[in-house]
Amino acid sequence: MTLGHRDYDMRPPLHPFTALTAAACAAVVTTAAAYSPLSVAVALAAVFLAVRRGVAGRVLPAAAVILAPLCLSLLVLHGLFFPEGQTVLAQWGPARVTAEGLGFALELGTRNTACVLVFLLFSFTVSVPDLVSALAGRRIPPQFGFVLASTLTLVPAVAVRLDRIRQAQETRGMVVRRGLLSRLGALRLQMVPLVLALIDDAGSRAQALDARGFGSRGPRTSYREVADPPAQRRFRAAALLFAAAAVVWRIVASWPVGVPS
Amino acid sequence: MTATTRTALQIRIEAFTFHGENTPVLSGATVSVAPGSLTAVLGGSGSGKSTLGKLMAGWLWAGHAGEFRGSLELGDTLLEFRGAPDDPRINPAEWSRRVAFVPQDAAAMLSSVRATVAEELAFGLENRATPRDDMLRAVERTAARTGLSDLLDRDPATLSGGELRRLAMGCAVITEPDILILDEPLASLDAAGAAQVEDLIRSLRGAGTGVVLLSQAADGLAAEATHWIVLDGGRTVRGTGLDGGTVTAAGTPAQLAGSAELQRAGVIGIRGPGVVGPGDVSPAATGPGVVGPSVVGPSSIRPSAIRPSAIRPSAIRPSAIRTSVVGPNPAAGARSPGPVPVPAPGPGPGSLELRGVGFGYGADARRRGVPAQARVLRDVDLAVNPGEIIAVTGPNGAGKSTLLRHFNGLLRPSEGDVRVCGRSIAGVPVGTVAASIGLLFQHPRDQLFERTVLREAAFGLRQLFGKAEAEGKARAALAAVGLSGTEAAHPADLSASRQRLLALATVLAREPAVLALDEPTVGLDQHGLAALQSAVVRAAATGTAVVMVTHDLAYARMNAHRVLELKDGQLSRI
Amino acid sequence: MSQPALTITAPGQAAGRRRRLLEIAGAAAIAATYIFLVLTQPADIANGPASFSALVALGGFLLGAVLLIVAVLPVLPTSTVVLIPVALVLNVVLGQLMGGTGLPFYIDAIGTVLIAVLAGPAAGAATGALSSIVWSFFNPTVLPFAAGAALIGFLAGMAARGGLFRRFYFAPIAGFVTGILAGVVSAPIAAFVFGGTSGLGTGAIVSAFRAMGDTLLAAITKQALISDPMDKAIVFAIAALLAYALPRRTTFQFPFVRRYRVLAGKAPAAPDA
Repeated sequence: MTLGHRDYDMRPPLHPFTALTAAACAAVVTTAAAYSPLSVAVALAAVFLAVRRGVAGRVLPAAAVILAPLCLSLLVLHGLFFPEGQTVLAQWGPARVTAEGLGFALELGTRNTACVLVFLLFSFTVSVPDLVSALAGRRIPPQFGFVLASTLTLVPAVAVRLDRIRQAQETRGMVVRRGLLSRLGALRLQMVPLVLALIDDAGSRAQALDARGFGSRGPRTSYREVADPPAQRRFRAAALLFAAAAVVWRIVASWPVGVPS
Repeated sequence: MTATTRTALQIRIEAFTFHGENTPVLSGATVSVAPGSLTAVLGGSGSGKSTLGKLMAGWLWAGHAGEFRGSLELGDTLLEFRGAPDDPRINPAEWSRRVAFVPQDAAAMLSSVRATVAEELAFGLENRATPRDDMLRAVERTAARTGLSDLLDRDPATLSGGELRRLAMGCAVITEPDILILDEPLASLDAAGAAQVEDLIRSLRGAGTGVVLLSQAADGLAAEATHWIVLDGGRTVRGTGLDGGTVTAAGTPAQLAGSAELQRAGVIGIRGPGVVGPGDVSPAATGPGVVGPSVVGPSSIRPSAIRPSAIRPSAIRPSAIRTSVVGPNPAAGARSPGPVPVPAPGPGPGSLELRGVGFGYGADARRRGVPAQARVLRDVDLAVNPGEIIAVTGPNGAGKSTLLRHFNGLLRPSEGDVRVCGRSIAGVPVGTVAASIGLLFQHPRDQLFERTVLREAAFGLRQLFGKAEAEGKARAALAAVGLSGTEAAHPADLSASRQRLLALATVLAREPAVLALDEPTVGLDQHGLAALQSAVVRAAATGTAVVMVTHDLAYARMNAHRVLELKDGQLSRI
Repeated sequence: MSQPALTITAPGQAAGRRRRLLEIAGAAAIAATYIFLVLTQPADIANGPASFSALVALGGFLLGAVLLIVAVLPVLPTSTVVLIPVALVLNVVLGQLMGGTGLPFYIDAIGTVLIAVLAGPAAGAATGALSSIVWSFFNPTVLPFAAGAALIGFLAGMAARGGLFRRFYFAPIAGFVTGILAGVVSAPIAAFVFGGTSGLGTGAIVSAFRAMGDTLLAAITKQALISDPMDKAIVFAIAALLAYALPRRTTFQFPFVRRYRVLAGKAPAAPDA
């Protein structure tokens, strides 16, 4: 669960928004195209970039955990049961393997894989402080950046705290037995101190943040400077235009019959 | 701003009540702070010091946090609060720019969303739209002032306790406040860290900042104060465990040092918690010498008079002890536990035995940063007999807590063996060892999870003693640490000091053969120290072996039969 | 001295109206997207049109979630904003702990529901939507479900306001109803964006309905109606358990809890302003 967003061997040369735009546009275009060779190409490109940036060791396992159950479920679901399918390849009782079903599973599987890889590549390479600073500079409510960055610091802290609570409670003679009830009971005892401590800490953090001006509505400045070269701005504009064109093309091409356009 | 234009702050509290509570947490208190002054607000745990500080600094606002009747005056602004909906609403950002507060838990001051010390310092300026150039200068100036110049690029999460405290103070003073309120600024700092913070406070005062110190110890820093205010939480417990604080005395340190008010409030004396010996409990609870005139003078304690070596050992067999650990009326014995019998190391097994224990964190996947050769423990031998009190001291990071965690198997030795009551605990689950070993951690809140104090103390007792006896044992343990009367309160509503005592009670209630305490004195006020003292001495008197880990050598010498030092992974007697 | 005032006045009405409009627009975007998707669901999903529905579902639901966030976030008090990361982490950590008990549910909204109970429907909706967006940093597949998560937070807050958390046995009932609505709203995302559900248990249920000849959307909606209400009933019950385990001083610091007397047996001692 600890992604270690803070320290990288190599600073990303990209402005966080450039990387985010690239990832989002790649995902949108892939979805709009609905063409599995393109999905495969995008997924491979993401893997290649991950290897080059040295984050493949973290991106690929994270992606596998998400994608393996999803793709397996797609394969079983559409591979065996696809009532719309015509070309029956095999049949066991109610289960029919159809070419259309397999094709559908392949298309959605590759599309999901491409989108997940592209976004994970973004989140494993972006510098979160830069992203938060960039967000603050774009009149996006500072609360958003706070929630993002605070979550990333909270996750490892909670893991440590949960470990401490577990130790303290075992020390008080709590033996977790196999039964479901015993485990649920132990769970309740672990949750209460965790939730209480987190809410109490949040309460005092809120007071400190308000005292330091976080709650005020006025304009803000930023200590951290994030370079945003003009070339990257042009790239973002072009990527957004391209993605918008792809979406428009898809909507025009497959506007459902019977709905006035 | 120069000292001449600095403004003063005055708060007058008729009553402040948290929402949903019946009794005010603070009442009848007035505090005035003049430019360049140092005011010490002294009181025990739960006396409302932090609430007072937060009210003064605009961290708690009337109406939002609770009902406030009284007034706040800053410079020429006077705000009157009557607990009505049309009361003025403080602008926390602007108020705190002029009256800054640093909480006891320094980490709570940090935004938690800034990647470096420099950005954390700048956070408050960013929110006030300070131009970037001004911000850079202010960060540089504040870093120099707080000794953080070399740490500006560090991640705040990696700072040590002392560095964190200075960063929190830097975050508070970067806006050049007129008044700075510090809640226990020296708590859990080592000597070097405390000295740096004290220097910083002096330099701020020199520049005209009025400083308010909130503390439960009348320590050296408090002795520098121009004015003392004693805040007493009162001993009355209205079934809820919630105390209401009120000012019982005010004056110069010279007037108040050794006063009855200071003792009643539970304020710790200048020499720290090391005031009582194992055989000398009852007078210390409220007696003289705890906070005497010696607050600003030399120590007058004669350790030799109360050294445990004067106590004659007598043989008590462990088997006999187990049945008589808590007598029919333990509360009756609380006042005068009498001398501590230390059994001779007879033929029976010791309560706790470590044989050639070695341990290193290298193999632990979660501590990858620590080099594999970092051996925390090396060939440690330790034998503790029933009724013996042993203190383990050593510098920070020497592995004292690591040693303690071996006693019940939270950590398993890589070499050697740990034996409890003569049996090796290798392979025995922690929850089972817990029947014989009671371990008290530094953070009581991790250990508490029930809805009421009584349920907390009674947790798991049914399995040990049966339904009939469980509640009686729980009540007896609560009485032993002086928490009778709080049975119905929510553990989290107790003061920090009492939460530690409750955690101690939960351990005592299980009547362990060995009691292991991790820094038991930290966070306790004088009343709490006295309760700890009597509980530990009485447990030892009934045959429980006690091992306490403490950084406070004076306390260790005063309260243990044997003092051991953990250094370079090995234990040696000192 | 031209310094900012040490006191503040209550916020004006104009800002409140614009915020309300944004909230309505957000809710309308989500509702319209859902209706559009159900009405126009492609009869033949095999030949690419699912991609159209995917884009509409993503666009409409994300727009709705973002509008809700933009409307609510800037006016949330800091004391609520700091709880959102807490809710998010609790969603994940408690979900994992529950996963360890071997129950066949995903239990991934305990934090959202707890915050909604303490801080109200607006905070609940913002928490749900934001936690999906932030958690998509770790798992991009949760991003499209932001609207459903917002709905869960909103409904939990409404249930708390209506006093359903004052009796312990009402909480699972409220959760059950919430589960029905949230499951139905999220079904098009699962159907069109992902083409199914993640997980073999739920996948088997969908397969069964598909074998009976249902459309993909219908099959997934029915599956959601089987698993989601039970799941949310458990989540609401756990959230209620936690809310009652918290000390009074902690729960009463929330104006929402005081004003609507959300929790039983914890009436304020004095009438609240």
